[in-house]
Amino acid sequence: MDYRSAFQISASGMTVEKLRVDVTAVNLANVHSTKGADGKLFRPMRVVSHESVGFAATMRHMGFSAALPGAAVASVESVDAPPRMVQDPGNPQADEKGFVAYPGINQVNEMVTLMTAVRAYEANVIAMNVAKTLAVKALEIGGNS
Amino acid sequence: MSIEAVGYLAPLAATPGVDAAAVAGTGVAGNATAPSGPGFGELLARGLDQVNRDLVSSQTDVQSLALGDAQNLHHVMMRLEEAKLAFQLAVQVRSRLLEAYQEIMRMQV
Repeated sequence: MDYRSAFQISASGMTVEKLRVDVTAVNLANVHSTKGADGKLFRPMRVVSHESVGFAATMRHMGFSAALPGAAVASVESVDAPPRMVQDPGNPQADEKGFVAYPGINQVNEMVTLMTAVRAYEANVIAMNVAKTLAVKALEIGGNS
Repeated sequence: MSIEAVGYLAPLAATPGVDAAAVAGTGVAGNATAPSGPGFGELLARGLDQVNRDLVSSQTDVQSLALGDAQNLHHVMMRLEEAKLAFQLAVQVRSRLLEAYQEIMRMQV
């Protein structure tokens, strides 16, 4: 059942990219968030992914002969970006100089992250579909058609 | 599905009309005289059992997706594809078996 290993590898990549999209959505949702009840400002997050270490061992455990590594999420960490200060004296969150602190989220960067994540996800889907096409083609060996 | 229909091909070498020593000399039927490991019927049953388990598990996945419990969509789709491929493999094995059977039934004796 070695065609399943390609499925598992692509699935691990898709899981990582899906989380990247989720985290980017969190950043974009909080682009206009001011300080919360605890007085802390939202810090933009980013997904750090790496080659999966335990993946190969898991695959071997599942009975796959070719133990290739997949992708895994290393951590979701907060970025130390300086807050964006906006002059808005009427805002209840404004400081004594009339500035309101917003999270240092770069919307353009977030959109680019979103696009690359979507493209990477699509690439994983295509890799999986190719693996499936190979399996289906192999089933046609010796067929009448 | 009746697997027994294939089963009566195996004792061919053991039938009184066929000389076991002569058949063993051909090399191909040598395995039939001394079978080792699981029989073909058992292998087939095991494979069908695996396919059935795949189908049931993909059905469970779809059910959990419909209930909103699914962790993510791509795992469900992937399970469905795996079940589909396993089923196609079973169908191909069945059609090959049927072909071989019909080929033998057409044989002039």
